[in-house]
Parts: sequence; C-alpha cells; structure tokens
Amino acid sequence: MPILEARNLTKTFRRPDKASGFKGAVKHLVQRKYKNYTAVDGIDLSIEAGESVAYVGPNGAGKSTTVKLLTGILRPSEGTVRVMGRDPHVERIPNAHDIGVLFGQRTQLWWDLPVEESLKLLKHMYGVSDADYKARLARFDDLLDLGEFMPALARTLSLGQRMRADLACALIHAPKMVYLDEPTIGLDISVKDRLRAFLRELVDDGTTLLLTSHDLADIEEVCERIVVIDKGAIAYDGPIQQLKAHYITTKAVNLFLEGPADVPALAEKFPEYAWAAGEAPSEVVVTYESNRFTTAEVLGGLTAQLAPRDLSLSEPSIEDVIRRLYAGELTK
Amino acid sequence: MADTTLRASAARHAGGVYWRSLVAQIRAITEYPADFWVMASAGVMWNVLQFAFLTVLFAAVPDVAGWRYHEMLMLSGLLTVAAGSTALLCDGVWSTGTYVLKGEIDYRITRPAPVVVQVATSHIGMQGFGEVGFGLVMVAYGWIGAGMGLAAVPVGVLGLACAIVIECALITALCAVNFWLKGNNSIFAFVLLDLQHNAMTMPLALFPAAVKIVTMFVVPVAFVNFVPVAVLTGHLTSWWLVGPPLTAAASVLLAAGLYRLGLRSYDSSGH
Repeated sequence: MPILEARNLTKTFRRPDKASGFKGAVKHLVQRKYKNYTAVDGIDLSIEAGESVAYVGPNGAGKSTTVKLLTGILRPSEGTVRVMGRDPHVERIPNAHDIGVLFGQRTQLWWDLPVEESLKLLKHMYGVSDADYKARLARFDDLLDLGEFMPALARTLSLGQRMRADLACALIHAPKMVYLDEPTIGLDISVKDRLRAFLRELVDDGTTLLLTSHDLADIEEVCERIVVIDKGAIAYDGPIQQLKAHYITTKAVNLFLEGPADVPALAEKFPEYAWAAGEAPSEVVVTYESNRFTTAEVLGGLTAQLAPRDLSLSEPSIEDVIRRLYAGELTK
Repeated sequence: MADTTLRASAARHAGGVYWRSLVAQIRAITEYPADFWVMASAGVMWNVLQFAFLTVLFAAVPDVAGWRYHEMLMLSGLLTVAAGSTALLCDGVWSTGTYVLKGEIDYRITRPAPVVVQVATSHIGMQGFGEVGFGLVMVAYGWIGAGMGLAAVPVGVLGLACAIVIECALITALCAVNFWLKGNNSIFAFVLLDLQHNAMTMPLALFPAAVKIVTMFVVPVAFVNFVPVAVLTGHLTSWWLVGPPLTAAASVLLAAGLYRLGLRSYDSSGH
C-alpha cells in the first residue's frame, strides 16, 4: 500500500478579475468580479514508503499548491489525498505526527526565541521523549552543525543557519513522510552540500521524501524518481535514470585542433555527425547520436584523422532535459 | 468511554501547548525591555483617565441610574481586567487576518496542536500588564469602598473568570471573520471593544431597550462586567449568576467553531 496516494487532485482558486490601475481598483470595490484559476489539475500521484521523489516544474506550475494539498494545509476542490490511509485535512492532528514539512521561503522558528527554545516547544507539541530528543539533536548537530547557533535568537541567524534549524524543526519527531519545498533556496554551495548529504542519509534511513526544488543538483543527488509538473498537470513521472536514458540521446565531444577549425569542411568530411564551432577558433563541437555510435568509435575515428591536441566529452544534463520538457519540446 | 478519554487527553495536550507557548512569549518579551515598560505604562495611563473621569463625575452627582461611585469603579475595573487579559492570553488572534493573507497559518496546520491555540499564543500585548494591574486595583478599591466582604469573593472570582473567558472567546470569534474577509485589520473585534468602552462602563439602565437586548443576547458583552457586578452589588438577583458561565461556554464553542470553519476556507498564499 502506498504511503501517499492522490487521485484526481484538483485545486481551483478564485481570483479578483479587475482592470489595472486606479480606475480598475475603484470599479472592483463596487462591482466585484472573480475568475477561477486551476493551480492543480487532476493529478494522480502514488508514493511508496522509502521513496525519494523530486517534484519539479517551472514557476507557477502548481508545485507548492500540491505540497499544501498533500500536507492538509489546503482542501482539494476535487479528488482525494490519503497519507498513510488518512485524509490529511480531515484527520489533521494524527497526520501531523507522521509528517515533517519545510517551506524554504518561510521559517517556523519562534522569531524572538533562541533556536533551542523553538525546538523544545516542538518537542512538547509532538510528544517526543527526552531520550529521543537528545539523540536526534545530537545527530542533527553532527550532520548540520546546529550546536554553534542553538543559543542564538532566530532573528539573528543567517539564511543557511536558519534553514538548518528549520530542517531540524521539521524532523525532530522523526516523521515517516517528509515534504521539503525549496530547502536549498538562497544557500551557498557549502551549506547546500551539507544539506544534500543530510537528506541522502535521511533517505537511506528509510524516510519517504518529496522534494521540490529549482536546483536540479538537489534532485540528482537526493532523489531516485522525478515528477515533472507543468500548468497544474503531470508532464513526466518516472525514475531519473529512465528520464535521462529516454531523452538524452546525444553526446558531444569538444575537439581542440592544432590550427583554426574549418567547420563546413569537417561537416562535409564527417556527415554522420553534427558540427559546430567552439568558443576558441581552434575548438569544434561534434555531436553524435549515442544509440548509433559508441564513444570509442567516435573518438577513435576522429583522433586518428584529425589528431587534436586535446579533447573533452560532455552529455546533456538533467537540466537540459527538464528545460526542454518545460518548453514542450519533449513529450511523455 | 475511549472517545471521552481521547478528548480529555487532546484537551490536556492543547492546554500544555498553550501554556508553554505563552511562557515562551513572556520570555521573548525580555528581549524588548523598553517596549515592555512603554506599553505597560500606556495600558495604565488610559485607565487612570477613566478612574479620574469617574472620580470627577461622582464629585458632582451622588449616583448614576442608582449606581454609586465604588460600584461604578468595579464595573470599569472588571471590564479593564477582561480586556487586558485578552492582550495577555490571546493577543495573537488579532493577527489572524495578517496570517491568513501572508499564508502564515501553513506551518501551524502541519503541527499536532489546535491552530487557534498556536495563533493565540503567537504574541503578547504588553499593555495588558498595565491594564490588568490597574483594573485589579480599581476592582479592589471599588470592592472595599462598596463595603463588600470576603463572603462575596467566590462570586467575584467566578465573575472574573467568566469575564476573561467570554472576552477572549468573543475577540477570537470576531477575529476569525478575517478568514473570509481577507483583511489585515480585525474590524469587528475593534467594534466590540468600542461598544464595550462606550456602553459597558455605564449602567445598562441608562440605555434604550435595543442596546440592552444587543449586549445581553446578540453580542453578550453585558455578561463580561455588567451582570456579575450588578449581582454582587444587589442591582440584579442572584439568579443572573447562571448567565456568565453559560455565556462563557457558548462563546468558547462559537469561537472554536468559527475558527475551524475558517480553516476549511483557508487558501494560504503564493499559488
């Protein structure tokens, strides 16, 4: 049985329909008009216990709204959600014991209290025993270096410290299902690395994870499955490796020749590859279909005939694939 | 039976969360000592003016609609204590509208405690310290001056407890309206306070029947201060004492119900 199951999940909001400017605002005061906006449109999603799922999409695609529906913050306009067999909105309090939530754009720390006081309040709210609380804090301290800012007031923390403290808040009760909405937004590379390592460890321990992020490195490093959402509907749902294997069908070699590269002549000589000029006059980019040619074949032929002084290999990243999915160039 | 046990356990848990959050907020106040003293003094100053007004008034007249100076002090004092208590016990509910607009209810919904408890304890109004302190002084001075003995203390304590519960519940219920109105300001709650300061610091006999009906049965603010003080001072019979506890229970149910309904229509922000 899946730990999370959503069927035909739909959320429609009512938005004011008013003309721009002062006149429009005044007219809306006396003649109110609204139009409906569907943020999430009939999503079916099933997540098994222990899975780590990336939930990605362009701005306004409906990612955060989906997370709010799955956590019980919002009520669906249509469809159903079950988390461990419960409706998260109706059975809010039992559900709250089993889930952990982090919204990267907001904090749940008490603003004028030290971090340790916020954690203690949550400890009591979730009914965490003293022994479990100590053990979890020690682990968080180990992985997230919480100790250095535990006595600091929340309002004095840097963004990176605040995010690490918020992550501890979301996990202090050892939830079975964790939703992380943009957990690395605005963080520097070292803090991102630390958070990703922590999340990998969390997944290895069997916690189910749903992660939304615009930083696709988060996704590649932490998740096995990816769900791409666009305009409120799912555009792709499957393993990340499968997405790559299915859509990444070309590879490229950058050749650095001894003299200036004559791209048209090379294209005529090797018509089975696509040729393009590189950044330097002597650099040329050769793109080939990875299901037709092996890298060894391509390199063997080209190095024998062109004798480049250097070369480098590259393949399109998951970012390229997702960018093309957003742009509608790829289909399921 | 099992259901009753579960409910009792949930209520105990909610009470624990409420108390710990409130204590945490009091600790947070110590971060802003200047703010504390300014706000607490402001709470005292407004009530000093009310005290002075009554003193000047009763220097000129012996009574107002049969109520004497010390009885009127108790009337004003009890209202001041009740209003000040809302600032100390549930000041966060005034931010309901802002939280709704900014999506700041989100995290509170994902925690295992009543949302209204978490919102109510998200802030403490420091003026409440001054208001409650000075209000209690007014009640005590009026009590002694009116010649009331220790025998009436249990009724006074009951009246005080009910006054605080009714006031907190009515303010919470009226702030919950912002789940639907989508505004930053709790207009209806402000109107309630205005109504109380204008109508409930004077004997109800001064006002037309419509005001009596509204303050007794529509927005039952009369049970906050007027009814208990009138019973204590003999202006109403002791039968009226059933009113404050019943009103308190009804107000709490109304506030909890409205807040729960409001959460059903909560839209968060940023969709």
